[in-house]
Amino acid sequence: MNKELEHKFIVEFEQNQNIIHKVCRIYTSNQDAHNDLFQEIAIQLWKAYPKFRGESKLSTWMYRIGLNTAITLYRKSKRSIVTQDFDTVLYKIESTSYDDTEEEQLKLMYKAIHQLSDIDKALIFLYLEEINYREIAETMGISEVNARVRMNRIKTRLKTILNP
Amino acid sequence: MMDELEFLKKDWKKQEADFPKLSYNEIYKLIHKKSSSIVKWIFIICIAEFLFWGLITICIPESTFAIYEKFNLKTFLFVTQILHYVVVFVFIYLFYKNYKTISVVDNTGLLMKKILKTRKTVNYYVYYNIVLYILLSVILNAVMFSHTDILIENLMPENSNLDTEKFLAINIVVQIILLAVMCGLIWLYYRIIYGILLKKLKRNYKELESLEV
Repeated sequence: MNKELEHKFIVEFEQNQNIIHKVCRIYTSNQDAHNDLFQEIAIQLWKAYPKFRGESKLSTWMYRIGLNTAITLYRKSKRSIVTQDFDTVLYKIESTSYDDTEEEQLKLMYKAIHQLSDIDKALIFLYLEEINYREIAETMGISEVNARVRMNRIKTRLKTILNP
Repeated sequence: MMDELEFLKKDWKKQEADFPKLSYNEIYKLIHKKSSSIVKWIFIICIAEFLFWGLITICIPESTFAIYEKFNLKTFLFVTQILHYVVVFVFIYLFYKNYKTISVVDNTGLLMKKILKTRKTVNYYVYYNIVLYILLSVILNAVMFSHTDILIENLMPENSNLDTEKFLAINIVVQIILLAVMCGLIWLYYRIIYGILLKKLKRNYKELESLEV
């Protein structure tokens, strides 16, 4: 494979790797699974990179491949048996910045997101990334109206979990 | 009180600082690892299936066909074989064509559709093989059993105590059992292999489709 292209890809990946971490955060619940999915997405991005012409933004392209890998291509490896609670290990919410109830609420919220279906996770992920509905619809291959309707349902669901 | 989702959004942005940062070298190593995507697995399994069904026809020893010569079935089998190879090549071509269209950059719905379509091509190939196998069994047996005299002369062991009626009956029963066992095994194989492989994909595809109704 072209060394120059490879270098360019790695540099761009290095700068944008947070996107992939965030996809993994939504779809996995422990560190092993996170790393596993991260690796598969990285491989898929690299495989697709020679055809990336820059018609869309790099981030848009990464969202697409990241979510497609998580929803469609990725199969859980044997290693990903839940061993530790994700939220308490890597992404410890600092107690200085939030009070207890807020921290509790965030935990509940992430827990609720992990219980959503793969498709709903993709929608909430794109929402949190502040992607507009037109782009969400294009990424998922559904109509804009349906994307909106579904998103409202997910939001309502999350709110009910928090305020029973 | 602040909207919970806005609150979550705020936290979502903050978490970026907590993510581990992979270095250039780590990324280099990562992208040279082997993928374990289901598309890759489907490709490997499908190729194995083409080979398996192809080899099965090649591996049948020539002596098996000697008996058919006595029933004047050789030309029939030869023509069937030629047609069979044509069909196999059409299947391989269609499979390859569908496989090549799979692109991870497509939207999620389309990607899933293409993977399922590629998989279906191979399903049809396997159905074709099973139907062909059953059809050939029926035709060959029908011809042979309509000439019982030649059949007994060639197949029945000499100095056997069995009477001919019994011999033919056993023959038919054994053939039916073999056919049933083979179909059962193939069915089981598909349930297990593709049950595991495509469960998640099918579930997500259905969900996405249901959004569009």
